Amino acid sequence: MANKRNATVLVGLSLAAVAVIAVWKPTVLIYGIQAAGLYASIAIPMGLILGIVHIVNLAHGEFMMLASYATYMLCSATGMDPFVAMVPTAAVTALFGFVIYRLTIRQALKAPELNQLILTFGIAIAMTQAVNLIYTSQTRKLSFEYVSASIDIGELSFGIFNFVFVLVAILMVVGLRIFLTRTTTGKAALAVGQNPKGAAIVGIDVDRTYGLVFALASALVGMMGALFITRSSIFPGVGSPFTMKSFCLVAMAGIGNIPGILGASILLGISENFLKAFRGLRGWADIVFFVLIITVILGRSIRGKKA
Amino acid sequence: MKLKGSYLAAAAATAVVVAFPAFLGAYPLAVARSIMTYMALAISWDMLLRSGQISFGIAGLFGLGSYASALAVLRGGMDPFTSILFASAFAAVMSMLLGLAILRLRAMYFSITTLALMEIFKIVIHNLHDFSGGPEGVVLPEPIFGGSAPALFWLCMAGLFMTIGVSWYFEKSKMHLALTAIRNDETSARSSGVDIFKYLLIAFVITSTLQGMMGAIQVQSYGFTTPDTAFDANFTLLPLAMALLGGIHSTIGPMAGAVLLGVASEWLKLKIPYGHLIVYGFIIILVILFMPQGLVGLARKTIRNGRTGVRHE
Repeated sequence: MANKRNATVLVGLSLAAVAVIAVWKPTVLIYGIQAAGLYASIAIPMGLILGIVHIVNLAHGEFMMLASYATYMLCSATGMDPFVAMVPTAAVTALFGFVIYRLTIRQALKAPELNQLILTFGIAIAMTQAVNLIYTSQTRKLSFEYVSASIDIGELSFGIFNFVFVLVAILMVVGLRIFLTRTTTGKAALAVGQNPKGAAIVGIDVDRTYGLVFALASALVGMMGALFITRSSIFPGVGSPFTMKSFCLVAMAGIGNIPGILGASILLGISENFLKAFRGLRGWADIVFFVLIITVILGRSIRGKKA
Repeated sequence: MKLKGSYLAAAAATAVVVAFPAFLGAYPLAVARSIMTYMALAISWDMLLRSGQISFGIAGLFGLGSYASALAVLRGGMDPFTSILFASAFAAVMSMLLGLAILRLRAMYFSITTLALMEIFKIVIHNLHDFSGGPEGVVLPEPIFGGSAPALFWLCMAGLFMTIGVSWYFEKSKMHLALTAIRNDETSARSSGVDIFKYLLIAFVITSTLQGMMGAIQVQSYGFTTPDTAFDANFTLLPLAMALLGGIHSTIGPMAGAVLLGVASEWLKLKIPYGHLIVYGFIIILVILFMPQGLVGLARKTIRNGRTGVRHE
């Protein structure tokens, strides 16, 4: 009962805060939600892997970085638009993710958690450095006209292109929900996530499901890699902050709670952009993520002790 | 008899290392210093790992030590050598306060928190322009001991020997039993009366102090630092790869790994300027998949099999 009341109070407070910000600094709200869309759509695939395969993939951001480079090569060679290029990129990263899973992660599924963490950490380094080796650390950028599309409402003028990411995030949440609750494969995946042993007993091929989920998550993050180059320049280390941020969001939402990632992203996006709105505090905006992740993790551990 | 032999070998090796400046030039000495720094970090990382806690925040403590020492000299007018002691004490106090909170976390939550803390230190240093010099970093009036190569070498060596000594003490004392018990099964360790939190805190504070000390020695030897060099992810990554390759849960393993990888990376750096760190990535992957016990574990197994005559063809 107390929990429910606390939750109501919390929701009420956040709505009030949002209302105040919307009136006082509307751009904070708009850019915050746009940033949230990007964070959420990158974090959701990680949440999928963590929820079903129970692996923290520290190479998550690097998968996206790799997909960005693939898209960059494809687009600059053929003049293709990233929104078209995301289809072949997603297919290639799905295959790549599946191969990485079969070759490395599958062998470590039964190993202690530390080994899995260090293993994916090693994969991340190998990927970053392979790109560094081939393309050097020079930054690369493709520019598209439609990215600078903006809209004026009264005195307010703001870019609207980044709302694409909000749309993608919502599509991902809805799509995954339908996949996990309506299709046989999705239901099997959900069952494996809840209890791999039980799922195996009722005849679900656990290993195949893990591989499939890994490929699906890689395809999604590959798609995001393709879209990522529309708004940002790329370099070998571009993905690693997103690994941290994604993990932060997944941990905040609670493992297995994919729609929760959306909520967590909005909280982070808005608080980050809130700090960015003040000139003197701009440099501190990055700290929000790390302070929040520690607060959330500590908060959970303390609450866990009490329960 | 065998024990005596290994003591003799250790003494001989120590003597050779101490005498390095007598027959090595400035460049090999600088390489040796960087290898010794990484070795000390690798050993200290492993010391905490013996309790099952994996830290991704080595660079955080290292950078914190660097800045504490540099700022003590610049802003506090401290003498360089004293500033190293001050930085170690500072790292100890900070890690004690942080440890009280984060050592209740386990597994991936602990690891991610240490990584996040490192980022927080870095952002704070970046943004305190007036105090810390911001992104451009700080420059000291002059390196410690006037920058004399042999003196810098011995200073770094002293830091390393202290780390080895503490690690060896950890291996031989009650600490070893406590940490191993916590790693193997926390519940049964607790029920046998091991004060888990106390031992974790001791291990965390001691290893953080050593890491902060190595950071201070590094900054005093080079005479300058920036947030990006002091908190360089390599200070987390390289020690980790070295300890894994050599063999974790021992003192000798990280030492062997540091010598091998340190020399190899110095050579690769000249061959491949961009991306030579890829070797570290592959070593981590291969070691985890194929020989989680590392080289030392492999060697022990071979010797044991040879002695008992058991051969697995």
